Amino acid sequence: MENATPALFFAGIDIGSTMSKAVVVDAQGAMRGYVVGPTGAEHRRRANKVMEDVLLKVGITLDQVAYIISTGYGRVNVPFADKQVTELTCHARGVASLFPDVRTAIDIGGQDAKVLKIKSGRLTDFLTNDKCAAGTGRFLEVAAETLGLELNEMGQISLQSDTPVKINSLCTIFAQQEIISRLSEGQPLTDILAGVYIAVTTRVVKLARQLKVEPPVVFTGGVAKNSGMVKAMETVLGMPVLVPEEPLITGALGAAILARDEAFKLVQDGHYKIQKKQLSEAYIEFTEKKL
Amino acid sequence: MVTATTKGLSRAHEIYADRGKRVRELRKAGKKIIGYICLYPPIEIITAMGMVPFRIFGDMSEPITVADKVSTTVVCPFLRSIIDLGIKGKFDFLDGAVGAHTCDIGMTTIIAWRDYIKDAPFTHLIDVPHTDHAPAVDYFEGQINFFKQHIEELAGEKLSGDKLKKACELHNKQRKLVRDLYDLRKSDPPRLNSMENLEVMVSLFSLPVEEGNELLEAVIREVKERSIKPAKKKARLLVWGPVFDNTSLYELVESTGADVVVDDTCVGTRAFWADVKAPYDLHALAQRYLVDIKCPRTYRDTQHQETERSYDKDLDSRFSYIKKAVTDWHVNGVVLQSVKYCDTHGYEVPNLRHYLDTLGIPSIYIEHDYSERSLAPIKTRVEAFVETLG
Repeated sequence: MENATPALFFAGIDIGSTMSKAVVVDAQGAMRGYVVGPTGAEHRRRANKVMEDVLLKVGITLDQVAYIISTGYGRVNVPFADKQVTELTCHARGVASLFPDVRTAIDIGGQDAKVLKIKSGRLTDFLTNDKCAAGTGRFLEVAAETLGLELNEMGQISLQSDTPVKINSLCTIFAQQEIISRLSEGQPLTDILAGVYIAVTTRVVKLARQLKVEPPVVFTGGVAKNSGMVKAMETVLGMPVLVPEEPLITGALGAAILARDEAFKLVQDGHYKIQKKQLSEAYIEFTEKKL
Repeated sequence: MVTATTKGLSRAHEIYADRGKRVRELRKAGKKIIGYICLYPPIEIITAMGMVPFRIFGDMSEPITVADKVSTTVVCPFLRSIIDLGIKGKFDFLDGAVGAHTCDIGMTTIIAWRDYIKDAPFTHLIDVPHTDHAPAVDYFEGQINFFKQHIEELAGEKLSGDKLKKACELHNKQRKLVRDLYDLRKSDPPRLNSMENLEVMVSLFSLPVEEGNELLEAVIREVKERSIKPAKKKARLLVWGPVFDNTSLYELVESTGADVVVDDTCVGTRAFWADVKAPYDLHALAQRYLVDIKCPRTYRDTQHQETERSYDKDLDSRFSYIKKAVTDWHVNGVVLQSVKYCDTHGYEVPNLRHYLDTLGIPSIYIEHDYSERSLAPIKTRVEAFVETLG
């Protein structure tokens, strides 16, 4: 066993506040598969589930995965991970793997927003919203609830507007009241929706401006899937933004690539055998939990 | 086995856990205990009058429940915590309290103390100007003189020059010993971690100066005998900001795989870096407190005699002491922390970060609301910051 060929896959798991994601990459760092699912209350069970699903999807078993890095809000609750790395470092790595020249990445998740400055693929500075839900996906969810719409239909509707209404409140709850008063004034839904996107974007761009926005800008996170948000982001920033094909998984992708780098470093340093042992223990724990 | 040499850090740990214990004993034996808020009341005068200066801190683990009646929630939560604890009777062993106009809320805190804390026997407010100009130092000397007269009334005796000189020498000795202790953190890894260091610092603010000096001598002996642990961490950090009197922030920072090797806070270097100079009179005290303590509450306008002002020179005159600490302690990252609503420190942050940028020292700014629970969300940001240093 000691001389066995190292397994050729590496995984990253991102347990976010709302969604959990898992990505598997191969030795070349190319993505072989990913899954996305809601996080829910039980982080540990969710971690096992996304890992199991991604293995099924790629068609491999856990012992073929040499190294696993967990990240995100729930990263401590991934018992089979070899290492934990913050989502800031992982997002930067993931975004840079897709867009090697990226200088600024804006990520808006379910409950947080972050702005990353990246140079030569490395995270150099960052800011996160540390106060409340303003400028996050939660803001959009509240707006959708208030307007009685589904999140995924909001974007398309907003694109029909050229005159977005102004929503000034910084606080999500006060903004909700503002949306209601705009409705009672008889403002068209399209303009209100466009206004909601501008409001969320303005808060995040304010954060981004503290770090100086340099192109190319990449926009990620669940919110970036929304066409209304992308348009609003380009309007407020005054420059085009790049959106990955699957903007939810950049953190998990970065974690998987960092897992590959870390495993290769361990092999180089001659520590691989120790890791292999830990890996098989984690595997036993993982399969036990599965049953 | 507990030996004389292991008594230092474990004694500091005990005092940290129950700050009032020793002063309660001393009070029973007839000593007067004088509480003070922030760094600006000259404690040498209290010591010289035969009383014990006791620094009033808040409590991050105690929710603020009664202070809202006397202060609004949009001011410094540290000072609100002090008033909260005072009203709850947690400082009932004090014979008096002295505050200073360190900032606006610092001033109103001692006034609230006088007005709302039952049986507050002796309170005094020292006005402190906000620049280091020569006329400001003279004015501050006059304010120190008022304080001296007031405390002489409480003591029923006059302050003698000899006693003041002796008190200055004792406090200067303490400052020297603290600097010696900090020297032991220059090694990589440091011989003393930041949690242990803070426990010693908090103890010094809870003991008569002589006992504090004995504690420091014991701690230094103990730490010198330690062998340095081989595990090096990936970052050596300096922590900057207002009061931090609780080990939880340092625990948070060190848990991310970094060592905090030095600080610029008023429960650390700021309190102990400057000595009182001869001839140890009130003017020397005014100079030490107003000019030599490096807290952003005093604008160090060292160029006021020059005609040409330059932003870079101004930054250098305000912050070059931090550059020296960064060099001497081999620091590769700075954590700027502040309690929420601290205007004094908040306004300093953009200038200081710019200065650190020009030195090529990465920094991060974090805010907390002076409660243990508010620290957890900060952890990811500190951790990511440390990852960028690795």
